[in-house]
Parts: sequence; C-alpha cells; structure tokens
Amino acid sequence: MEGTEVLEKKQQNSPGDDIRTTNYNILGKIFHGAGIYAVAALFLVAGIILQALGVINNFLTAQNMLNIVDAVSMLGIVAVGMAFVTYSGHYADMSVPTTMALTGIIAVQMLQYGFFPAIAAAVAAGLLIGLINAVAIGKFKANPIIWTLAVNYVTLGVIRLVWVNKQIYPDMIAKSQWASDVFDNIYRFRFFNKIGLPVVYMIILVILLNFIMKKTKFGQQLKITGAARKASEFSGVNVERVIGLSFVICALTATLGGLTVTSLSRVGAYYNGAGYDFKAVTAIVIGGMTLAGGRGSIIGVLGGVLIIGLMNNIMTLLGVGTFSQDMIRGIIFIVVVGINAKSLRTLGRDDA
Amino acid sequence: MLNKPNSKKSLLVAIDRNRIFILFTIVFLFMALFAPRFFNVFNLTTIMRTSAMNATVAIGFTVILIIGQLDLSIGTIITFTAIIGLGLKEYIGFGGSIPVAIIAGGLIGLINGLLVAKAKINSFIVTLGMMTALQGAIYTFTGGNSVSLSTPDAFAVSDWLALMIFPLVTPRVIITLVLIAASAIFMKRTRIGRNFYMVGGNRQTAWLAGIDTDKYTIAAFIMSGVTAGIGGVLFAMESAAATLNMGNSSLMYVISAAIIGGTAMSGGKGGIFKTFVAILMLDVLYNGIILFGLGNEVKIFIAGIILASVVLYEAYVSYKHEKVIGQRPELMKELEVQNQA
Amino acid sequence: MKKGLIFLMILAVFAVVFTGCKKEEAKVVEKEATTSNLGASLALETEVMNLKAADGQALIKIGGTVRKVPARPADPSALPETDPLHWWDMEFAGEITNKTNIPESPADGAIGKKVIMIVHGDHPWTTACTNGAQKVAGVYGMDLKIQSPNWDLAVQNQMIDQAINENPDMILLIPLDAKTAPQQARKINKAGVPLILFNTLPDAAAMDYAITWTGPDDFGQFRKLARLWADELGGKGGVAYVQHAPGGSPYFARCFGPVSELAQYAPGIKVLDMQAPGFEADKTMQLVSDWLTRFGDDLKGICAADDSAQSLGIFEALKKAGREDVVVIAAGNSKVGMDLVREGKLHAITYQTAEGDGALAVKTAADWFNGKEIEPIRNLPQHMITIDDVEDFYPPQW
Repeated sequence: MEGTEVLEKKQQNSPGDDIRTTNYNILGKIFHGAGIYAVAALFLVAGIILQALGVINNFLTAQNMLNIVDAVSMLGIVAVGMAFVTYSGHYADMSVPTTMALTGIIAVQMLQYGFFPAIAAAVAAGLLIGLINAVAIGKFKANPIIWTLAVNYVTLGVIRLVWVNKQIYPDMIAKSQWASDVFDNIYRFRFFNKIGLPVVYMIILVILLNFIMKKTKFGQQLKITGAARKASEFSGVNVERVIGLSFVICALTATLGGLTVTSLSRVGAYYNGAGYDFKAVTAIVIGGMTLAGGRGSIIGVLGGVLIIGLMNNIMTLLGVGTFSQDMIRGIIFIVVVGINAKSLRTLGRDDA
Repeated sequence: MLNKPNSKKSLLVAIDRNRIFILFTIVFLFMALFAPRFFNVFNLTTIMRTSAMNATVAIGFTVILIIGQLDLSIGTIITFTAIIGLGLKEYIGFGGSIPVAIIAGGLIGLINGLLVAKAKINSFIVTLGMMTALQGAIYTFTGGNSVSLSTPDAFAVSDWLALMIFPLVTPRVIITLVLIAASAIFMKRTRIGRNFYMVGGNRQTAWLAGIDTDKYTIAAFIMSGVTAGIGGVLFAMESAAATLNMGNSSLMYVISAAIIGGTAMSGGKGGIFKTFVAILMLDVLYNGIILFGLGNEVKIFIAGIILASVVLYEAYVSYKHEKVIGQRPELMKELEVQNQA
Repeated sequence: MKKGLIFLMILAVFAVVFTGCKKEEAKVVEKEATTSNLGASLALETEVMNLKAADGQALIKIGGTVRKVPARPADPSALPETDPLHWWDMEFAGEITNKTNIPESPADGAIGKKVIMIVHGDHPWTTACTNGAQKVAGVYGMDLKIQSPNWDLAVQNQMIDQAINENPDMILLIPLDAKTAPQQARKINKAGVPLILFNTLPDAAAMDYAITWTGPDDFGQFRKLARLWADELGGKGGVAYVQHAPGGSPYFARCFGPVSELAQYAPGIKVLDMQAPGFEADKTMQLVSDWLTRFGDDLKGICAADDSAQSLGIFEALKKAGREDVVVIAAGNSKVGMDLVREGKLHAITYQTAEGDGALAVKTAADWFNGKEIEPIRNLPQHMITIDDVEDFYPPQW
C-alpha cells in the first residue's frame, strides 16, 4: 500500500528525483542538507548560549575561533588525506603515525644538506610508504587495516633501528642557520601575526583535494570504486590504480603533517605523530564519511575536524577535566555517527 | 575436491593450513638451538605465564574476527576490569569482585554488540568510541592512581596463581588452557559454534538459513568482553596491582596473533587454537630476542615483518585464486593440447 | 587441531633431546667471575666520582641535600590535597620500611659483577640514563646488561623472570608503576637476588624487599621550583598546571607538590585549573589557548610537567595571545627546555640528570658489593636551572 503511495508521489515529482528521498524525517533532512555543519552549528549555538548565560566567556571572539582552527589544523592536514582512503572503501591508513615520524626524522637528518634536500627526502620517504601500501592493497587486495598496521610496525622498527631511540634536533644538525630557521617556521610562521601556516596548508589542501574528489575523473572513479568495487572494475575503471593513488595521497598529506609536527616539537623522534591514526578516523567519520566508502566529502571532513576543535574548546572553557573530556568525546562520537548512519538508512542512501 | 588433487598440491594445501604450527616449530627450534638459557623449565614456564593474558583475551577476539567484526576496545576492557576486580576486593572480597569485573566486561561487550547489531553502526567506530570513553572513565574514576591490594594477604592469591604445579603449568595457565580448549571445541564441534562461522562467512546466507545473525553478533561481542575481563582480572591478580594502561599493548598483540594464526579479517575463517599457537609463537620469539640481548627495535621490526609477510601472502594467494575464478583448468589443458596438435 | 597436537608432540620429543645439550653450557657461564678484588674495587672510587656526564656536570653527586622527614600523620589521605602531609606516603615512601630477607653484601668488590638493569621503556631519556649507567659499570668492569620492556607490564614481568633465571649478582629495576613494584620486588627478593630500585618512586611496600631506592626527589624538586615561581609571581595571581600523564608519582609530584607547597608559602596564589593533555605540543597548545580565553589576564603562571613538547605548546599559545608576562616553569632538562630557558622564556626548570640517574643506581650497587653501608633512600641532587646557570648544562644529555 505504502509503496504505491510513494510511487504516486514519485510520479508527481520531477522524473530525476530518487524515490526514497521523499520520505525523510527532520533529523535526516538536517543531515541531508547541511551535513555535519548542522552539528557544528549546534555546538556553536550551545557555546553562544553558554556565553550569554555567563557560564563561559570570550567564546565568540575572533581570537578564540582562530585558536580552535589553529589547534586542529594539523589534524585537518592528516584527516583530509586519509579521507581518500576511507572514501575508497578501505577504512583507514594505520601507518600514518609512523609515516609522520619517519618523514619528520628523515627531514631533520637531511637538514645537514640544506632545507630543500631535507624536504625532498621526506617526501620521497612518504611516497615510498604510500607506494608500498598502494601495491599491497590496491593490487593484491591485502586487508587495509592489518596491512597498514604491519607497515606501521615495520616503519617504527626501522626508525628505531636506525636512530636507536634517540631524538635529533634540527638546529644541531642543520649546517646553516637559514635551513634551521626555515624548518622551524614550517609550523611557526604566521601571516599578520595571526594566521598560522598549518591553517593555510589545511585550507589549500581542502580546496585542492575537494576539487580532486568532486571534479576530476579520478574522483569520480574513486567514488564508484569506493561504493562498489566490482561494478567499478566491470565498467573499465583501473581500480588498482585508483585505490593505490588514494593511499599515496594519504601518505603525502601524512608527510606534510609529519614535517609540521616535527617543526613544532623541534625534535625528530619515533613518537612524533602517535595517535594521529585514530584521531583522523574520528574526524573523518564524524565528518559524515562512511566507512563503507564512496560517501561523504572533504568539506564534510573539514567539518568533522572543526567539530572536534569546538568540542575540546567548549569543554575546556567549561572546566571539564581532560579525562572526562575523553569519556564525553567517545560517547559523542558514537552518537553522532549513529544518528548519521540511521538518517542515511532511513533515507535509503545506505544499508551499511 | 571433486577429482583427486595431485599429491604435490595437497601437500602445499596441508602446509598452508598448518602454517602457524610450522612457523611455531621453526621459531621454537631456532630459539632452543641458539638462544642462551632458553630451553629450561623455568624459562618455558615464564613463556607460558606471559602468554596467559593475551591468550585468554584472544579467545573472544578471534570469535569477533570470525564473525566479521572488529573490537578495538579490548585493551581498555582489560584495564577497566582489572581495576574493578582489584578495587572492589576491599569491599566484597575476591568472591564478589571477580564476578562483578567479568560481568562488567560482558556488559561492555553487550553495549558494543547492541550498537553494532541493532543500531547498525560499524564495529570499528563503536569500539573506537568505546575505547576512548572507557580510557577516560578509567582515569576519571581512579583519579590517576593505580590500584593495588593493600591487605596483608595481598600476595596469597597472586602467589597461588603463579605456583608451578608441574613443569610449564601454573593455575593461571591451567585456567587459560581450559578456557581455550572449551571454546575451541565449542566453536568447531557444536552447531552454535559453527553458526558463528556461517554468520561471518556470509551474513545474508546465514540469515536466509534461519540464523539470527544479530544475536550471534551480540554474543560474539559479549564473549570478547568476558574473555578480556577474565584475562585482565587474572593478570591483575597475579601482578597484585592494576595500572591505568596495563591492557594497552594487548590490542596490537592479539590482532597480530589472530592474523598470523590464519584468522581472516573478512570473517568466517580461523580458529581459537591457531590463534593460541600464534600467541605462543610471538612470545617465544620475544623471549628469545630478550635472551639474545636485543632491544625492542628488533622485536618490533621482526614482528612487523612477520605480520606483513603473512598478510601479503594471504592477499597474494587470493589474488591468484581470483585470477582463475570461472576458468576450468581441465578445459584449458585440452585447448592447449589441441593447439599444439 | 589433531595435527597441531601432533606437532606439539614432536616438539616434546625435541625437548627431551635438547635438554641434555643445554645444561653443560649453562654451567660454564656460571661461577667464573668471582675472582674480583675488593681493594681494587675500592680504589676505583675516585675515578668513578670524577666521571663526567655529557653536559659536563659531575656524573655522580651524592649527599646534596638531606631532607627533613616530618612525622607521618595517622591517615594522610584524610587530609586535604593542599596539605603537604596528604602526600606523605608518596613523597616519603621508603623512609619507614620493614626490610625483609635482604641478602648480605658479599663485600668482595664490584669488579666483574653481573648486573641486569631493567628500565621502563624506550625513550631518549632512557638512552641517556643507560649511557650514564654504562659509564660507571665500565670503570668497575661490571657486566651490565640493559633490558627495556617498552612500557609493557607483562613484558617487564617476563624480563624479571628471565633475569632471575640468569641468576645475576644484582638486579636494578625501574618499576613501570608504583603499585606493581611490590609484587615485582617481592619476586626478586624471594629468589634471593639483591635488588635496587631506581628512578620511579615505588609504593612503600616495595621498599621492604629492596636494598635501597635511588632517584630524583620529585616532590622536593618541585617544592623548590614552586618557591622560585611564587617569588617571580610576587606571591599572588592565578596559575594553572599542565600535568604529567597519569599512572605514576610524577603525575602527583609535579602538580600537587607545588600546589601543597604554595598553599603554605604563597597562599595568595590561586589554582585555576589542572589538566593532563599528554605529551603533545598541539594538544597542550589548544589547552593553553583555551585557558587564556577562559581566564584572560587572571592567568599569571603555568607549571608544566615536561619542558619539551608541553612547553613548546605553551609558548606557542602565549605567543599567539601576545602574553609575554606569564611565568612558566617545567620539569627539565631536555635540550628543548634548556633552549627555552636560554631564550628567556622558561623561568626555571628542574635539573633531572638522566645519566646521573642511571649512574647513581650502578654506583650504589657497587657500594653494596664493596660492603658499604647503604641508606634506605639515595636522592639525586636538587638543582633549579635558570637563565643564570643554564650555560653550565650544555651540551644537553638528550
């Protein structure tokens, strides 16, 4: 009965409309329209109300908003790259932490030959890890989580075998003051003394990667591959190359993240970048990208990153302890993703 | 299967199926031959005792993998239950605190399972969120303080658990072995156990065959929570203390062992006993590395290489297999013969 | 499964075969190095005391400060956290002990002794610490073997078992956690192996089973540091604490040490907040930025548990907000932290000699082998590094 009703409705609508989009609920509507930015707006409104009530102060100031963006910029850099892996239907790249550590420590070590050789070496190392992942997962279809975990292990082993649990300092290794200063400014340089370079990297990456994902042929192929690999294969897409490329993109953004975090902490060490794997997945998934692949957007991931920043900011302003923050973060994560998944399901856009 | 495969192939298949046993034997023999002070009763007992916690935790985790899900929260469940098990002892004694801790583990598993099966959220997300939330809960409720037994009889239980009854066997090892044997038999020999494989192998087919897939998924998560709880509580009792991150290293360890043991992340394949042997193999390997006086960097590197090789090997095998799907080798051979003629 | 059992049975057969071969080898390693000479060992004392750490400081400085131990209150935990005596059990653990079954010193010199050192995990700090230990062991000609469990309790327990199995002359242990130490120490004690705990202050119960504990007096250091801080702050204003990661005495010492000290010394100083963001610069930066938003000009001082990543995060946040006036102190002394002191950013850091920490443990072991009287606790010297003397501590140890 219901079916025929819907069908009738459908006939009244324009022919291009999806039959299922007609019966969404309010929650679904919000998610469908504004995506994760609805949640972000919710947090903002909550912050403004709290400020109006006098519970927290200085929330809605340019400086505070800038602080939030500044704090999550490195996470943003890593997350938008890893989003390609998620988008391709391969969950996450768990080798990101040690990719960051390895590229960082290699850059510091190569600073003795100058700044540009250092960057080149770091990019080469990142590219190598990306290619290894690309071949194993793209071509041989190794399980992405386990494979990248193994790569993470091996890379960590390599770093520790070569540098024997030591940390190395850019200013001690660089031969010229210039190289050391420039390296220090990978993170520290600020435009107008306000906007940090990592924010700029993040914005450029978001624009660039959003363009790649939405407007290019590769992006379209990636979408089909992520949503339905077999179908994509049969329609003549070079699936192996497409998936491989997504891992390479992820490794390259991780390289940028690694250089930034190394520049910030002024040491090349094996523990730089630890925890960025799960942090990035959290941001990506909160940003509305489903682990099933092929759904979501880079803009959404940016929203997820910003929500994490907003959430931390409001909780610290409220005086919530770090540990309770963890607890709340975990629960909010599950709830947001759960609602998102449910709304997608009721919309009939996802059966995962 | 239909026509008798040639003997060379069947040997390869046998080697492939039992590769974890072969791997274990090789590692064990290598260490027995070359590692100093490896081969004696005391050291082998040490290995058994070290493996006890991860072996217990791996039971539930293997079932989770068999059913095609993932549980990232086992590490924090270990810590959480360990803290409950020791923390409540002062008030209700071990007789009360151990069951409470294990039930707490089961409850966390139940929440995970409900969120995965009923709310239909991806298990990677559910358990990642659970991991974060639980770690926060642990820090909040302990106030950053580890938990230990302060009573004079604190060491009695811990001594008993570590008592060497006869070579290689302490009560904690016995508990572990019994649990492994029982659950291995349950998974392989009972219909309910086999159903887990069905659900993991092909969810749709299992559902069509009348298996309540949701129920099995939830059951798997509860099992994972319970075994993580048992592992955590026993480990804490033997250490006579529970620290705030004692389970953190278990996750990677157990995942590696399960995969090396031949359990597939995609579900429907694997076995508890094989995971156990894989854990023993890793422990023998690490034990030997320590005896050689080598550092963690070597350990991490070798573990990574082994894991990577196993994953790549499995991927390569299925890659080759996929290439010939739909082809009939005997027809191809006939064609070849015709072409030559 | 059946095949698995067969494999295991084959192994058992091998086992029987190999046990024979192994035993002889073990015997050769035993009893060989006890030809040491007590006189020669004692003569090395001056050479050891003249050793220098990588930063040019004397590697071993004993008896810097004798601390006063107040009487233990009946129930310290009943007192408020701002009362110094609330932390008595943690700060003065080991001052009252009931030593059990401590082995007699052989008093036959340290030369050629076999010592196993088990640390807590791999870190640049640990590398420096073991370097210091090796320097002292090298002079005494000790056979020092160092093992690291990579922050894993199960592995540390395994290493202890394996160390006992090796039957060394001494085990030096950094317990992973204060609360796990008693059982670990007890196990070593029961096996009859002499034990010295160092670096991480264990639960008092563990001290009963060890010859002694050597390491930094974290509470004492931070009380001193807090006074420097309070003087700079003028005894008033709001302060916030960036804490150590939980699960050990530094988490408490590097926060409640100053808190309880300042409650007496400078009651005008108000605690605004305390948080543990971990050792990540970006997380600390966000935390401090949020603090500056929340407290504004009320925030006058920050105390950090770490002088590298945490401090860098703090100064990034301060720079963004244009707040040069906030007084920051931290636990030292890494290169990054000392650079910050030299730049005039960090007001003061504690001198936490990593090499000295390892060296003192080995030196104490040597003293015990030499038959000297060992006090129940041996603290590293206390010192605060400020811009006035920071140059003396270059090049950094790690």
